[in-house]
Amino acid sequence: MALSGIQIYKVLPQTNCKECGVATCLAFAMKLAARQAELSACPYVSDEAKAMLDTAAAPPIRLITLGAGDRKLEVGNETVVYRHEKTFVHQPGLFLRLPASLSDADFAAGVDKVAGYTVERVGQMLRTDGVAIEGASADAFAARVKQAVDKGLAVILLASDPAVIEAGLAAAGNTKPLIYAGAGADSAALAPLAKKYSASLTVGAAGDLEALAAATEKAVAAGAEDLVLDPGMTGWADALALPAQLRRAAIKKNFKQLGYPIIAFPGSLSDSAEEEAMLASLLIGKYAGLIVLDRFDQAVVYSLLALRQNIYTDPQKPIQVSPGLYEIGEPEPGSPLLVTTNFSLTYFSVAGEVEGSGRKAWLLVADSEGLSVLTAWAAGKFDAEAIAKAVKTTGVAEKINHKSIVLPGAVAGLSGELEEELPGWKVLVGPRESIGIPSYLKLLASQ
Amino acid sequence: MPLSDDTALLDGTTAGAQAPDVAVRLEPAGVTVTVPAGSLLEDAISKAGLRVALPCGGQGRCGRCVVQVKEGSVRRRSTVRLGAEQIEEGYALACQTLVNSDAVVLLIDAEPRQERIVGGDLADKVARESVPCDRRRAPVVSAYRVVVPPPDMADNTPDFERLQREMALQYGIRRITPSLTALARLPESLRNGEWTVTAVIEQRDPDVALALDPTDSAGSYRLLDVFPGDQPPRLYGAAIDIGTTTVVAYLTDLATGEVVDGLSAYNDQIARGEDVISRIIYGKQLARRVELRERVVGTMNGLLDEMLSRKRLTRDDILAVVVAGNTTMTHLFLGLDPANIRLEPYVGAAGKFPLVPASTLSLHVHPEALVDCMPAVGAYVGGDITAGALISGMTEGEEIALFLDIGTNGEMVLGNNEWLISCACSAGPGFEGAGASSGMRAVRGAIEEVWIDPVTFEPTVTTIGGDVPRGICGSGMISLMGELMMTGIINKSGRISPDIPTKRIREGHNGLEYVVVWADDTATGERDIILDDTDIINLLRAKAAIYAGAAVLCESVGLSITDVDRVLIGGSFGKHIDVEKAIQIGLLPDLPWDRFSYLGNTSLQGAYHALVCRTCRAEIEDIASKMTYLELSADNRFMDAFTSALFLPHTDESLFPSVQQSLEARKQGVSAV
Amino acid sequence: MAVPEVKEKYAGRIQEVTLGAGSRGKTVAIGGESTLPFLHFEGTVANRPAIAIEVSDREPDDWSPLLKEAWGDVMGDPAKWAAKAEELGADVIALSLDSAHPERGNTGADDARKTVRKVLEATTLPLIVYGPGQKDKDNEVLVAAAEEAKGERIAIGNAEEKNYRTIVAAALANDQVVIAKSPMDVNLAKQLNVLIGDMGIPKDRIIMDPTTGALGYGVEYSYSVMERVRLAALGGDATLQQPMVLTVGYEAWRTKEARTNDEVPQEWGDWAQRAILWEANTAITLVNTGANLLVLRHPQSVALVRKAIDRLMAGA
Repeated sequence: MALSGIQIYKVLPQTNCKECGVATCLAFAMKLAARQAELSACPYVSDEAKAMLDTAAAPPIRLITLGAGDRKLEVGNETVVYRHEKTFVHQPGLFLRLPASLSDADFAAGVDKVAGYTVERVGQMLRTDGVAIEGASADAFAARVKQAVDKGLAVILLASDPAVIEAGLAAAGNTKPLIYAGAGADSAALAPLAKKYSASLTVGAAGDLEALAAATEKAVAAGAEDLVLDPGMTGWADALALPAQLRRAAIKKNFKQLGYPIIAFPGSLSDSAEEEAMLASLLIGKYAGLIVLDRFDQAVVYSLLALRQNIYTDPQKPIQVSPGLYEIGEPEPGSPLLVTTNFSLTYFSVAGEVEGSGRKAWLLVADSEGLSVLTAWAAGKFDAEAIAKAVKTTGVAEKINHKSIVLPGAVAGLSGELEEELPGWKVLVGPRESIGIPSYLKLLASQ
Repeated sequence: MPLSDDTALLDGTTAGAQAPDVAVRLEPAGVTVTVPAGSLLEDAISKAGLRVALPCGGQGRCGRCVVQVKEGSVRRRSTVRLGAEQIEEGYALACQTLVNSDAVVLLIDAEPRQERIVGGDLADKVARESVPCDRRRAPVVSAYRVVVPPPDMADNTPDFERLQREMALQYGIRRITPSLTALARLPESLRNGEWTVTAVIEQRDPDVALALDPTDSAGSYRLLDVFPGDQPPRLYGAAIDIGTTTVVAYLTDLATGEVVDGLSAYNDQIARGEDVISRIIYGKQLARRVELRERVVGTMNGLLDEMLSRKRLTRDDILAVVVAGNTTMTHLFLGLDPANIRLEPYVGAAGKFPLVPASTLSLHVHPEALVDCMPAVGAYVGGDITAGALISGMTEGEEIALFLDIGTNGEMVLGNNEWLISCACSAGPGFEGAGASSGMRAVRGAIEEVWIDPVTFEPTVTTIGGDVPRGICGSGMISLMGELMMTGIINKSGRISPDIPTKRIREGHNGLEYVVVWADDTATGERDIILDDTDIINLLRAKAAIYAGAAVLCESVGLSITDVDRVLIGGSFGKHIDVEKAIQIGLLPDLPWDRFSYLGNTSLQGAYHALVCRTCRAEIEDIASKMTYLELSADNRFMDAFTSALFLPHTDESLFPSVQQSLEARKQGVSAV
Repeated sequence: MAVPEVKEKYAGRIQEVTLGAGSRGKTVAIGGESTLPFLHFEGTVANRPAIAIEVSDREPDDWSPLLKEAWGDVMGDPAKWAAKAEELGADVIALSLDSAHPERGNTGADDARKTVRKVLEATTLPLIVYGPGQKDKDNEVLVAAAEEAKGERIAIGNAEEKNYRTIVAAALANDQVVIAKSPMDVNLAKQLNVLIGDMGIPKDRIIMDPTTGALGYGVEYSYSVMERVRLAALGGDATLQQPMVLTVGYEAWRTKEARTNDEVPQEWGDWAQRAILWEANTAITLVNTGANLLVLRHPQSVALVRKAIDRLMAGA
């Protein structure tokens, strides 16, 4: 269980010595509670406090690493059940399953497809993480694993014969592969292998959480540390229910035996690429750590990467809309130009009022880092300079035939400066509250 | 509602860079000033040394700076709160109107600038009960009668060293340094007093530990002034609260600890912005910071001069000054650049401020008096709060106390004798009576309580001093909002309902409005006293900010707001705050009433205690060093809590069970009628 | 060591709302669940999420060519369009009276009545009727629609914080359901429910629309707002227990990914597949956080979402 700032404060020295770099012991305690500071920064902390805080700080879901180099993938270490509580921190890995039956050429093409796929979205490069390689003979398996590892991909070894697995492990070198020996496999028996090659190991139990917990306990006893869970989903409802129970057990009950990331194979429960994509979407939204796809259509992968990017953002950031020029009701060159900030609720109320008025307008949304008009203005993020910049970067001047811009009434004080920033423009002061917009637009139209 | 009379809206023209000068004659003063065409009328008025009221800070929001343009051409950027006929008649907002040609402008009535504090004595009494402190034991400045043996050829020690020696012998006071003024006066005083003088000694404590024991004679001493003979000198001090909206001062007799006079006035900086952010932005350039400093010093001197003249005292009689203000106000008063306060990561120039001679700051007190500004703990939690926290008594026990300063900046502190955590949430000036259509400070004639008949929707009001109503002060706003909500005149999101059958609800310049007092029944007889949709939105935001700040502050230390044992309220509400109504609108948490205490202007009282008691002064220092500051600007939890509180009484009705019950009871009561 | 009990015991339950009555051949109940989506192990999922297909009373000029291709010439006639939507698997018809918008035809109450009548006759399904989103016109045509469809238990919307009184009054007077739309915020959603509830409309006649963010364009905000709404509702907050409707089709088809294939990166893949998935994946992600009624546009995504819901309900 996480401790509150006050609980931690009670065991700190309470001298406000500031040597940890924070103004007061309470502020330091609050940082510790939020995991934004290390206890070692306090030179005077007691052993008792240390012991208490170390226990509280252990992550309820173990962090598992796959792959190496710049494609190193980390999953697990999640601390919440619901996304609004705190960021989901480690995006689920997306893998393509490459069956043993593939020809060498098709296998190579599959590896290339995964290794070569990368797409930019809102400033981030998105890509898939690796391949799940099915093993038949030890030699062929080793060759294929090596091929994938050479391309920098993380690999999951889909094999049940320990000899084949070991060949794959050897070929993977120090790239931290994951062993997946099938839902019914005796994972404890594979634990020594996993340990020897610093690989992680999948533990499965078809639909039975008690059996799954027993199996992880056995695997740990046999020396394995980094485990991944395959709870054995037999249908779509299972694919929601089992991860939900695992997540709750790990986080709400701090049940270590089930505190590992989850692997899922949506393709085996789907009839088409689209269905597979939808099940994968459900799993991205709720609690999968590794998702192995059977099909690799670009449109599918792109939509999943976009969703993964969305879900794993910080929920504490204010909801924003993209800055830019918005058209409300097919505006014409003569329609008025209004400016506001990119905090979503601000945008919604302004756009909503303009829409509700039935009139056309250009709405210039300046980048205020998601703050509302007054807050952004207070913090220097919605000033004449920022508005002038938005006017220039959006090229709104080419779309309208006038040079008037309507400021929110709350920042009427900016009008003088804005006229200086935008020579030749006329600054009008709009209503202070968005509810005044319809009558204001009516007035503008009447002139 | 015309917002601009600019008919050439879309013609793309603008004022030229090389504007010619125009002459503006200001009536009734009959002063003419020359300004470049395109200047704001307000600038012309300022340039002429005249004044219009700008409680909204010249943002075109309040309509108080209305003037009448008799001749000439102007462009109105905004015409908030002006009707079409008024515009027709030449009325314009000075802060939003550009003068394009020679013009004649009539200035309209200005509010009186200074007010005696109403209820000041009461506030003082509360303080005395809450802080067990014998104020006479250790004021910052005291007088000592000293008999000095005259020098002779055998003992030709100079005058000052001679006095020093006697102070050590007679009072055990060592390490005295003289002020230059005292040295200049000493030889004459000694001789005119026939070797008996009254030495005015200032004592400052080197650190908190020493100061906490007032009997300790360590510390540093300064001979501030010296008078001939043993007539007790007039020994006064000033405690001043620099509020963003209001400046309040106490004149105190340091010998007895009594407050002999108190006075308040709007902070003259308001002309440059109604909130600290506006002031910081205005003060970007040095020249403007100088102006802001001059404005607040002007306000302070106005109060000092008036109190001195009423008490027939002179400037030299005020020998110590303690100032409590928020971080921005303190920066501006001392001439420090507050620019970084509002920008990430929100840091000021200092948290603790040096003692500054009054002469450096141009205060109308003894030139050698030192001005002591109370320490700040964060960008938006300043000396007014550290001083106020002392007065609240919250650091005295284990009980969890929440100290709320319900003013423009909405600061608050949570904690007990072990820990303190504070934050600030910009609430706006609504609860100080500024910024609303009919808002005013808590002075005579301000409506402070309202009742509305749930059947006829007719209001009954009481005013401070029982005078004819002039406007509504902060406590009146709370009372009014509570009544409007309980009677269903406004819905839970604060909108006035158009369906209520009363002529008091009508379409106004800012949406619907409710008339509290008809013009004929007001002091001026000119304008109805109203509350409109926009006023309500502002009040709703103010109360939401304060409640949300308190909720987030509690949450940040793992407490619920219902865990709070005591709620201590400071603010400029005059005599009292109606806890019931404040709970109804969700400004205060729904706790048993006996957990609330209203303490009045805690900042001022804190400053006063620091002036008359060195122990108190040291305690404030201690509070400042242990207070944790939570910056809400960076906290999305606050935004969420704020939206949640932006409802009457709150989106989560289960937090306000008593209000739910009264609403139910009212509903049934009304339907029974 | 035994696995700890992780079943939640919720104090609250989602309100069940039924659409359709009178001449409707079918009624559709939504809501009623006592757990988070499809967690059959700890509660009941009384009704499957329903699918509405969006039908406009005027041929849309801004819809993607992919949608025009899919619907063909029925798009010019709301009655035919509704009939075809029924054939293609809709549970509900979401009729948008867009032509009433002052800039898009400015049709009035009489036209609205005629359109509603025609569509009622063309389909046996329950109806949602949306106004054009402009205050005065919404009030005009939604009152007309509510009166015209008296006895049919349709849903009318949107009632928003700034304009709810007339619409709610019309729903009250004509025994219809009202859609309460708020801008993507759990507090605002709740506030609107309280305001609407204060007018005296029964709880089984309010559906809430917490505003949809499309995949890539704020779906995560909807996800979290809806999840907070749902958790509060199950936790016993009676003012948030209304079923949720999401206008997924409108939002998904506004995105660049769905709307166009011009100058898009090759990695975005096949346009049609991408566009349909954009709608379907937005829908399924929001079904996963509590959507009870989805307003969709493309027949193929309707089929995909329907099948996915079949599979999710299979564990019941």
